[in-house]
Amino acid sequence: MTDIKLQARNVDVYYGQKKAIDNVSIDIDNGLVTAFIGPSGCGKSTFLRSLNRMNDTIADARVTGEILLDGEDIYAASMDPVALRARVGMVFQKPNPFPKSIYENIAYGPRIHGLAQGKADMDVIVEKSLTQAGLWNEVKDRLNDPGTALSGGQQQRLCIARAVAVSPEVILMDEPCSALDPIATARIEELIDDLRQTYAIVIVTHSMQQAARVSQRTAFFHLGVMVEYGETSEIFTNPREARTKDYITGRYG
Amino acid sequence: MILSAVLLAVLALGLAGWTFARNKARLLYAGRGSMHSMPVYHGWHFALWIVLPGLLAWGVWSVAMPTLVNGSILADPAAAALPADDMQRAAILSEARAIAADPSVFAFDPLSARLADPIRVAEGKWGTIGALLVLICALAGGAHAWTRVRAGFPARTRVERVVMAVLLVVSLMAILTTVGIIGSLVFEAGLFFKDVSPLAFLTGTHWSPANAHGGDISANFGAVPLFWGTIYIGAIIAMFVAIPLGLMSAIYLTQYATRRVRGWFKPLLEILAGVPTVVYGYFAALTVAPKVRDFAAWIGMNNPSTESALAAGLVMGVMIIPFVSSMADDSLAAVPRSMSDGSLALGATRSETIKKVLLPAALPGIVAGVMLAISRAIGETMIVVMAAGASANLSANPFASMTTVTYQIVQMLTGDQEFNNPKTLSAFALGLVLFVVTLILNIIALRVVKRFREAYE
Amino acid sequence: MSNPRWQTPAALRRIARRNAAERRFRLLGLGAIALSLGFLALLLVIMAKNGLSGLNWSFLSGSDSTDPHMAGVWGAAKGSLLTMLVTIAIAFPMGVLAALYLEEFAPRTRWIEWVEVSINNLAAVPSIIFGLLGLAVFINTAGLPRSSPLVGGLTLALMTMPVIVISGRNAIKAVPPSIRDAALAVGASKVQTVFHHVLPLALPGILTGTIIGMARALGETAPLLMIGMRAFVATPPGGLTDPSSVLPMQIFLWSDQIDTAFVENTSAAIIVLLMFLMAMNGLAIYLRNKFEVRW
Repeated sequence: MTDIKLQARNVDVYYGQKKAIDNVSIDIDNGLVTAFIGPSGCGKSTFLRSLNRMNDTIADARVTGEILLDGEDIYAASMDPVALRARVGMVFQKPNPFPKSIYENIAYGPRIHGLAQGKADMDVIVEKSLTQAGLWNEVKDRLNDPGTALSGGQQQRLCIARAVAVSPEVILMDEPCSALDPIATARIEELIDDLRQTYAIVIVTHSMQQAARVSQRTAFFHLGVMVEYGETSEIFTNPREARTKDYITGRYG
Repeated sequence: MILSAVLLAVLALGLAGWTFARNKARLLYAGRGSMHSMPVYHGWHFALWIVLPGLLAWGVWSVAMPTLVNGSILADPAAAALPADDMQRAAILSEARAIAADPSVFAFDPLSARLADPIRVAEGKWGTIGALLVLICALAGGAHAWTRVRAGFPARTRVERVVMAVLLVVSLMAILTTVGIIGSLVFEAGLFFKDVSPLAFLTGTHWSPANAHGGDISANFGAVPLFWGTIYIGAIIAMFVAIPLGLMSAIYLTQYATRRVRGWFKPLLEILAGVPTVVYGYFAALTVAPKVRDFAAWIGMNNPSTESALAAGLVMGVMIIPFVSSMADDSLAAVPRSMSDGSLALGATRSETIKKVLLPAALPGIVAGVMLAISRAIGETMIVVMAAGASANLSANPFASMTTVTYQIVQMLTGDQEFNNPKTLSAFALGLVLFVVTLILNIIALRVVKRFREAYE
Repeated sequence: MSNPRWQTPAALRRIARRNAAERRFRLLGLGAIALSLGFLALLLVIMAKNGLSGLNWSFLSGSDSTDPHMAGVWGAAKGSLLTMLVTIAIAFPMGVLAALYLEEFAPRTRWIEWVEVSINNLAAVPSIIFGLLGLAVFINTAGLPRSSPLVGGLTLALMTMPVIVISGRNAIKAVPPSIRDAALAVGASKVQTVFHHVLPLALPGILTGTIIGMARALGETAPLLMIGMRAFVATPPGGLTDPSSVLPMQIFLWSDQIDTAFVENTSAAIIVLLMFLMAMNGLAIYLRNKFEVRW
């Protein structure tokens, strides 16, 4: 069952005078993992950050065109960025747990959004989120330890649990494994596959192998333009565009 | 005087030597085309060998000469009439010295007029000997160095060694200043504590040095009201103003303001820090204090005083705002951006992110900043001198006149007392307490800041 | 279409409440800045209102007097000038050399650590303590003349030197190592490298720090009170050892006068002092902008 969750229509992103994204249109489906690949500086992270309006936090970034979440324009005046970001969660390149306890890291989102009624409810949310992120068994006895005391891979799973805790509909991941070792990376990749049952997932990666392993759809970005978008198997075995082929076969990158 | 003249002569010799040696080295260079050091370094080397021995001899002689002159005078028959009492003897001798330097000076004591001539003779004799000695040292040094102006001589290395020594000595000035501060405060405070027990000073609640007469004066030097006034004005009232305003300004500037707004407001805030404290003091006394008094009268206080802890504290708080704000600014900027990104991406608003993530993360730095601000506030003098008052009150009423440590230091040292009076010396005891407290605050704060920076690097 | 979980009245109310809190917080921040700058504006306006009428030639060229209409600031300004000359003549070379040594040459020994700790702490020691030091060392021990620009300048130099060292070290640190490598690679000695290449490049930064330190010294009153620079000086000081006053001290002395006509004098003197400070800070900003190199 696939249905469209996010739709981008003719999206341009500018940083000041510089155009970072040029006329990108894409449909992102529920229940799938969509990967954005491309050489560094191609704009894939920039585009990802415009999907939950994180670009609003950069002083002179500007987005034109339409991005629809369930058919609703996320840049419309009626759309509150605060509510939007609760629905479209994000995981960053470097694990960035808050300097608080593991429990408080997870509880932070539900608390600001008022999603838990009382302590018992919150305990349930924390346990459920950590379980979903595959971290519960490792940390259940030390929920009051600081989140920063965990290993890199555990920190990143904590950040995923933190994103999951507010029950988002989409999770954006910006090179979530680039700071991790291969074993931790493998665990995150497994986790991504589990999570796609529940959430639409968009992942930016510069590792083509990772894109091939975890995603069902792949979009190839180059110099701010989306060159090609399709089934991952198609892109990697039979790309339509010469540029895609060059990149995948390692001519540049 | 001949000694100053010889000093100039040594410097002139040095300059001449610099030119000679450089020229000689140039000729050598022209002859060979390769030397260890550039000619100019030979110039410097030679000049240093003239000037340094000369200066050294000059310094030694300047210290030694008064003793030698004194010895000559006491050997003079006229000195036999000098009184035995040390104080009187010193007074007459210093008068005689003044007459020797300038004959138009009037002599109160005929003896000093008679001694003036022997002094002049002795000074002339020893001065000439000293000048010759200085010149000999300078020339000997020069002669030694002249033989070194050779192609293979490492003049540069030698000169650089002197440069390093000068740099090191200059750097040690900082330690010397610190030692000087501690030494002079401890020494003078020690004299004070001979008359007043330290315990009475630190724990007594009655401060009235004006009534300190007779035997046991400890009871008049209880400094607790001063400490209280200092803390109340500097660490409580001023911080009530400075912490919220400074912190919120920093938050607005770092988290909300566009780059252009920040570019305007930040320097403007810094102007507040550049206004001299005497101007703040005048502002407090002229404008704020009368308003505070009127307000106190309006809420029903009897005879409120013009000088109040509140007026001084408020203005001091304003003065500290930019300080708190720039410390908070640095601390907030040191929190990695990924931290606030993480919170914003969860759908937290800016203010929620600031209150729940940024401020807790920046807290050590902010606390350290507040400690530094307090240390600055309690050491601030002019505002309290002009607006806080002289009465040592132990009261929590912000409209009361209150005095502080710094106010009393000024008070004790600007009168006409003799230096060794306990009242004057109490200023040094108060200074010692102030120094120790600010030092502790600074050391803790600097350490916290350092550890905090390392945590995020 | 959109997720019903976020459309319930309770959820909408909650979002509205949070956004209102956000606006309040933002306004609070703006208010804090406005209030702080409001104080500054109020201070300047009051001084201008009281003092501008008193600024005329006889005020600028006169010296202190018991008659407020005869009194002027030149005597005090000249005292300030002489004091600052002594201060800069001592603090600048010593500050720069110490900064060079600590940043470029100093071995990491315990002694040097003590020097660094001393400098950082001296920069935060209350200025009145320096006054006590000046009183005890320069006047009582060395016997230099009380109330003189010489002693005032020495005292302020001790206070200013740490500021110059700290800003100097930052400026020196900002010179990239590649410059040093380049000079050393063509055979310059370490001393030559530092004095020929690093120092000239760091100089604008050092000068900026020095001017700011001097501006602070120029506005300083408390330490000078300790060494008696509160003399009533009816004629401008002729030399470094004459009794004299300085601008901020003149402000302090006039502010104590009972005669209300002195209010105008005090405010006018404040305007003069602030003008000097603004000119110095303006120069510092100009230097910073003109010579600042982004590496």
